[in-house]
Formats: sequence, C-alpha cells, structure tokens
Amino acid sequence: MSALVDMNGVSLRYGDEPVLEDVSFSLNPMDHLALLGPSGCGKSTLLSLLAGLTRPASGKITLDGELVSESGRIVVAPHARRIGMVFQDLALWPNLNAVENVRLGIPRSLEPSRKRQADRARKALDACGIGDLSLRKPAQMSAGQQQRVAIARALAIRPRLLLLDEPFTGLDLAVKSRILDEIQSFASGQQITLILVSHDPLEVRHLSRQVMVIEHHGIAEQGPFDLLTRSPKSATMRAMALHLAAP
Amino acid sequence: MVSCATLEQAGRWRWVGVMTIFACALVPAVPLLWVAAEGGGGGGAWLGEGFPGGLRRSLQVAVWVAGLSLVAGLPCGVLAGLYRFPFRRVLLALLVLPLLAPPFLWALGLSMLRTQLALPPHSLLGGLGGTVLAFCSGAVPLTLFASMLASQTLSRSQTQAARLAGGEMHLCLLAARHAFPMAALAATLGAVLTISDPGPGQIFGHEGAASQILISFAASYDFSLAARQSLALAGLALAVALPVAGWLAPRLSAGLLARSAFLAEPGASRAAGRLTLVLVCSVIGVTILPGLAGLCLPAFRDAPFERAWQEAARTLPNTILYGVGAGLLAMVLGVALALCAGRQPRLRLVALAGVFVLFSLPPALGALGIVRLGSEAGAAFDPVLRGRFPVVLWLGLRLFPIVSVFAMRRLGAAPVSWAQAAALHGLPLRIYFLRILAPWLLPAAAVGGLLAGLLGIADIGSMLLLHPPGHGSFPLAIFTVMANAPESLVATLCLAYFGLSALVLALAWALAGRISSFPARS
Repeated sequence: MSALVDMNGVSLRYGDEPVLEDVSFSLNPMDHLALLGPSGCGKSTLLSLLAGLTRPASGKITLDGELVSESGRIVVAPHARRIGMVFQDLALWPNLNAVENVRLGIPRSLEPSRKRQADRARKALDACGIGDLSLRKPAQMSAGQQQRVAIARALAIRPRLLLLDEPFTGLDLAVKSRILDEIQSFASGQQITLILVSHDPLEVRHLSRQVMVIEHHGIAEQGPFDLLTRSPKSATMRAMALHLAAP
Repeated sequence: MVSCATLEQAGRWRWVGVMTIFACALVPAVPLLWVAAEGGGGGGAWLGEGFPGGLRRSLQVAVWVAGLSLVAGLPCGVLAGLYRFPFRRVLLALLVLPLLAPPFLWALGLSMLRTQLALPPHSLLGGLGGTVLAFCSGAVPLTLFASMLASQTLSRSQTQAARLAGGEMHLCLLAARHAFPMAALAATLGAVLTISDPGPGQIFGHEGAASQILISFAASYDFSLAARQSLALAGLALAVALPVAGWLAPRLSAGLLARSAFLAEPGASRAAGRLTLVLVCSVIGVTILPGLAGLCLPAFRDAPFERAWQEAARTLPNTILYGVGAGLLAMVLGVALALCAGRQPRLRLVALAGVFVLFSLPPALGALGIVRLGSEAGAAFDPVLRGRFPVVLWLGLRLFPIVSVFAMRRLGAAPVSWAQAAALHGLPLRIYFLRILAPWLLPAAAVGGLLAGLLGIADIGSMLLLHPPGHGSFPLAIFTVMANAPESLVATLCLAYFGLSALVLALAWALAGRISSFPARS
C-alpha cells in the first residue's frame, strides 16, 4: 500500500529559531496517528505544513504520491489538498450561523451551486447531531456544540486526511468521550486518515493506534501507543506512562 | 486565486501598502516645502515677527494641558475602569460631549461666563488660564477615557491577584501603572492638538502659533510666510511626537494584540465607587459645567432660537457632507492600514508610530498644501483640488489614524485560524473579506469613522483654510460670526452644536446596538 502522507527531510525555522529539523515520516491511508510532545515543540506547525498553510524551509511533502510542498514553495494550494482540519480554537466565524459556517467551507469545485452547498452543509450538521441548531451562531452554542460544527465543517468536504489540533481542550469528560466516539465512527465509515495533536492519553487511546513524539525539533520516537508507554524513551512518553500507571 | 492565508503571512505588499498610505497622507504637505524655500528674510523675520512669541505661548499652553490632563484624567479614568459608581453611563456619556465639539466653543462659554461674573481679562477665565481650561475640556476626558479603557484590559485573574497581594489600593496603583502609557499618549495628543488649534487662544487674547499662521494667510495674504510657519510648527510637533511615538509604539503594539483572557468586571467596592463618583463629577464640574453655564445664561436670556436654527439649517448639508465624507475616507484608509500592518510586529510598530506622528502634525500643513496645489493646478483638477471635495479629502487623510488604531485592535482580536480555515476550505479572499472580516471590523471602524467625522467637523483650522466660499460648516459659521453677532446668538449656536453632536452620538449608540447583533444570512 502506498503512503497517503509522506514527509521527507522537512525543516522549518521562525527567524533564527529552529522549529522542526529534518523531520521524515509516512502514514498509510486510514491510519490514525497521534502527535505528542511538549508545548511549543512544533506539533501544530507540523499540521500547518501538511495543510499547506506554512511553507517548509527545506524538504518535501507528498500526499497520495503527489508533491504538495517543497523547499520554500507550496505546490498544491491548501484547498486543493482535500484536507479537513479542526483548529485548536475551532476557527468558527462568529457572525455566521452554523450552516453558513459549514457552507462557506465547501469549495465551489466540490459543489458549484449555493443550494447544493447548503444541502451538503445541513447533511454534515445532521450527521454530527446538531442539525436542529443550524441557524444558531457559535456564541449561542455550548462548547461541545461548537466542536461539532467545526467537525461538520471539516467533514463536509469529505477529506482524505483529517487534522485535529487539540480541539477537545476545555470539554468535560462525558462530552469529550461522545465526540471522540463520533469522530472514530466517521473516520472508519468514510475511510479517513487522521492525525491528532494532543496531550491527553484518553484522546490518544481513543483515536490512535500509532503515536509520534516530537521533542527538540525532531521525532524522538514513534510506534504503537501501548508499546511506547511500556518502554518509553522520550520525556513525553515517560510522563504519560507515569500518568497512566498512577492509581 | 489569492489565498486568504496571505492575510496572516508576511509579505512585501504589507510594507508597500503601509508606506503608500503614509505617503498619501503626506503628499498634500509637499508643495509647502517649495513655497517655504521662496523669499523671506532670516531668523525671526523669516517666520514673521510675532511667530516666535506665538510659538512660546503655544508651548506654554501645551505643557499645561498635558500636565493637567494626566493629573486629572489618569486617576479618574483608572477608577472609572475598575469600579462601578452611581450614574456611570450618564456621567461617562456627558464626558464624551467635549470630545466632539471644537475647543473654541468651550472657550466662548468660558469667556461669556467671565463677562457675566465681571472677572478681569487676566483672571483664571482669561488669557493663559482660560485657554488652558478650554483645551482641558477635551484633553482631560480624552485622557480619562484612554486610562479607563486601558485599565479595563486587565484580566479578571490579574485584578484578583493584585487584590490578594495588597488590597484595593495596590490594585489601583498597579492599574495606574498599566494605564500610564495610554494616558500619556492621550495627554500628549491633547497637548499637541492645542498647538495647531487657533480658536481658544484667539478668543482669550493668548494667540499661539496657529493663530499666527491664520493671520499670515487670511489677513496678511502672505502664503509663503504661512507655509514657513506651518513647517516650523510641524517641526516642533515632530520634535515632541517622535520620541513619544518611539516610547509608546512598542507598548501600544503589545496592548493591541489579542488576548484569550477573561476581562475583569468593574468592582463593586462602595467606598471606591463613591470616590470615583466624586472625582468624575469634579472633572465634569471643572471642564464642562463652567463652559456650559457661560453659554446657557445668555442663550436663555434672549432666546434667539429661530435665528440659530436658520443658521444651523443653512450650514447643515455641508456639515453632514464634510463629516460623512471624512468619516468614510478615514474608515477606508484606516482599515487598509490595519490590514497591511497585520500581525507583523515590526510593521505594527511602524504603523502605530506613524499614525501618532501623522496625527500630531498641524492640520494647516496639508490644508495649505492643498490650497497651493489648487491655485497652481489647471482647471482640469478643479473637482479634486477646489470646492468641497478637498475639504473631505484632507479631513479624511488627517483623521484616518483614529480609525486605524481601532481597526488594528479589532483585527488583533481576530484569531489567525479564521483566515487559515478560509484558506484550507478555498474561500475566495473577496468572500472572506465581505462575509467574515468586514462584519468583524465594522463596529470598530464605524466608531472610529464616527469619531473622525465629528472631529473633522470640529477641525476649525482646516475648515478655515479649505472651505469654498458659501460652503462653510456649522462650527465655521459660529467661528465667523462670534466677533460681530450678539452674544446670545453665539451662545445659542454653540448650544445647538452641542445638541446636534449629542443627537448624532445617541443615534450612533442605537446603531451600534444593531451592528453588534449583526444578523447572519441563512
């Protein structure tokens, strides 16, 4: 099976500060990967590079065999990559209601008419269980409902890759578990490859079979979550193993 | 297709945009450099005999106004930001009024009060004292509001931590320290603006540099002298504004960025609330009431309301045109500058320092430049350089810095992820701007535009130099008749101006409620 995501020798600096150095990894279709690491280690930047929102300073990124970014250049525009992303702050546009937030996220190339865009947006909201709230603005919704709108917007374009950038921060455990179950079922139902950035073992265990730890601007270790927690090499995994072992 | 992500990325277009906007604002002043180089003797004669004395008097007034504004406005504003107090809304709304009226209206009120109290010309209500008091009626509330807004940016956890560390007094001291840069900015701005306003000084016989320019232009018909004086005044304003801008820009730039914090609600301490009430009432009592009392007594004695209404109705269309035009142009330029500056730290510093310096320059500089351009250019340029359009053009160019600061603050509060999500979903830049960014920026831009429009109408210096014959504004009509018309008519006209400003403000307030509940299209 050829890899869906292939990142090869990617580096990025912000001014003189290195963020990522010579990062290489690949991900097969329908794989679920969790990115772990301390705050500011470059996890979100890595998602941004995959989405095409940031140019790599060096290295290559391919999606499904197609070159999408290379040294200092975005080859394929973000919207042409068929990537859905749920941002850390959800990035919902506050003056638009839920259905408009999702509808504007569906490119004309996918649905040329406004009406069909709106139909598709409503279907996505229904699938996420908030069809009845489609006329509410984000400020009129609870945190969990806003989360679902953001997920509906990401899924409405039927992405091949879904990027989740710590989107569950601040949710209570019950809502978080329900949303994690729903994402899991969407991902298997629509055969979506998934990359999750998280600090929470619950989220990681729920969604990902594989984890990759980023420390000191590079990949510290990667492999199945259970295996890495049993014999951790990185500080992040050691902390997580301790956390899981605690009574 | 230009990606929406461009709005959050660095790029050469940003510098080009910022510099182009600044260049547009400075272009009207360029002809003065040529004019200033022509003729004239050296030293004092080169600037006119009376100018150095006028400059000294202007500086005297500016220093007093800055000092008093800071001393009165900072503590009062900090307390008003931190605590609830009785009649809060009404009293704060009352304090907005002086910001919208030209200082010469307050000067007229104070001068009339002096006459009614039979005080000598060089009492507190005359000469330097009267001029300073008239300017303070605007500068003190400006500093008060700046301090209040700055103290309200403190987060709930910050105020709670300060209270735990040392009680209410400690909180007030820390908040005052936090608000000091904004208060200093407002006080300096108020002071710099006094240098370029001829009104109060002329009324109290304490003519400053701006009056000298007006005399050179309108009485001596010496354009070259007026140009040299304007440039000298601009040089002085720059000497004050540049170091202040250098000191303030980094502080303001940090303050304008978005924060994901819960802001503190005003506290409910009864003692602090009472103290705040006393202080705010004292400020109103010293800065607003004497002027209003001075105007009310003669106005209601003879009550020439019909004549005043005729004057207001005659000048109202031009006044609205100048105000709306200047406000809209300021909105366009201010929002454009905010978009160009974006979140780039260096560019934000340059933009903030630049708008502060631009706003500090005397309005006569560009107004005289446009007059010069109008007199030199051919008939083909008449629509642009003569008539009412140049008034709108110059006022918009002069006042866009106000909108840009509001827009930068608002833009800084929008998460980066909005544009990133739009880019990821292929939303065209035009749609993103019209459907998401513009509605987001609209409240801030509208408030800034409203302020720019009202301040434009109140800018008597520019209006005197630029207005086409027969197309003056309402404040200009008051300024023109104040020396010859009966006192009661002048007072009634001034009160009518205050009434109209209050009406516009009330309408804007009502409109703001609708804008903030901007409906989504579904």
